[in-house]
Amino acid sequence: WRLLGDPRRFPRRPFAALLRAAFRSLLDHPQAGNPFILDDPDLKDIDPTILKHCHAAAATCILEAGKQKADISAISTCLEDCKLDKERIEQFCTEYQELVTVVSFSIGRSPLHITDVSWRLEYQIKNNQLHKTYQPSYLVTLNVENSDSESHPDVSFSCTMEQLQDLVGKLKDAAKSLERATQM
Amino acid sequence: KLNIDVDTIQHGVEGLVYLLTESSKLMISEVDFQDSVHVLGFSDELNKSLLQLYLDNRKEIRSILGELAPRLPSYHSLEWRLDVQLASRTLRQQIKPAVTMKLHLNQNEDPTAQVLQTDPATLLHLIQQLEQALGEMKMNHCRRIVRNMK
Repeated sequence: WRLLGDPRRFPRRPFAALLRAAFRSLLDHPQAGNPFILDDPDLKDIDPTILKHCHAAAATCILEAGKQKADISAISTCLEDCKLDKERIEQFCTEYQELVTVVSFSIGRSPLHITDVSWRLEYQIKNNQLHKTYQPSYLVTLNVENSDSESHPDVSFSCTMEQLQDLVGKLKDAAKSLERATQM
Repeated sequence: KLNIDVDTIQHGVEGLVYLLTESSKLMISEVDFQDSVHVLGFSDELNKSLLQLYLDNRKEIRSILGELAPRLPSYHSLEWRLDVQLASRTLRQQIKPAVTMKLHLNQNEDPTAQVLQTDPATLLHLIQQLEQALGEMKMNHCRRIVRNMK
């Protein structure tokens, strides 16, 4: 942070460019991660090591502020302690306010998350072991997402009409208790 | 004890097994069964006992054969739980409701359980979609097919 605040090492335009880069690298989807995010022409005069340190510092500050849901005055105080001048503090806060309202910091682990469901209804007539089966059955596929944004194979299963009724009944119970919880 | 050699008995048993499984698989009527057995040239008494054997056992044979068919993991049951996430290592002061579920499935007689999670909006969407699926069986199209396929 000291380095960022130093007007000799870090003139105005590169500072703004670095801030932009730091915000963008955190908010963009990790998979679309642009490795050349620090390639802003305004930044090319700065020593790469310093650039890396400052970028890390800015990113950490943004993350901590977001984690604690810090308000602007808290951030300002913190940055003042780091000996950043008023103008730079203002720049940071403006960028922060603009961009963070859009973001939900959804990092962290969680079980597989269901995003959608597809189903297929089939009527079995025969198979090679048994003819004249005449059984309807459902094939249900739950599309799931991993918190690591790696793709995960979908969860598929077959069930009879009674079993599907059981499943839907249980899901409805969950929804009802969710409704009751929100009314408390 | 029967005083017949092993090979003959083995063939006999295999023959019976084949006769019964094929008949049960195809679910042939009494008349068809009798006609088929008649061709083999056995005595009437034997034919009658074979027919009785077939009728008595075909339901059980069919259910056993049914287990042999290729199958996907099948639904067993579902447990659910309502959670509200208040904080995590990366973000404090949240209020994030979630429904956590444990889906019990059977894969070829092996029970498996999978933990899944979803948010309230997706839960309602799931319910709506699956209710639509259930409704399909009651539609005319499906009813007509089921009627005509028997």
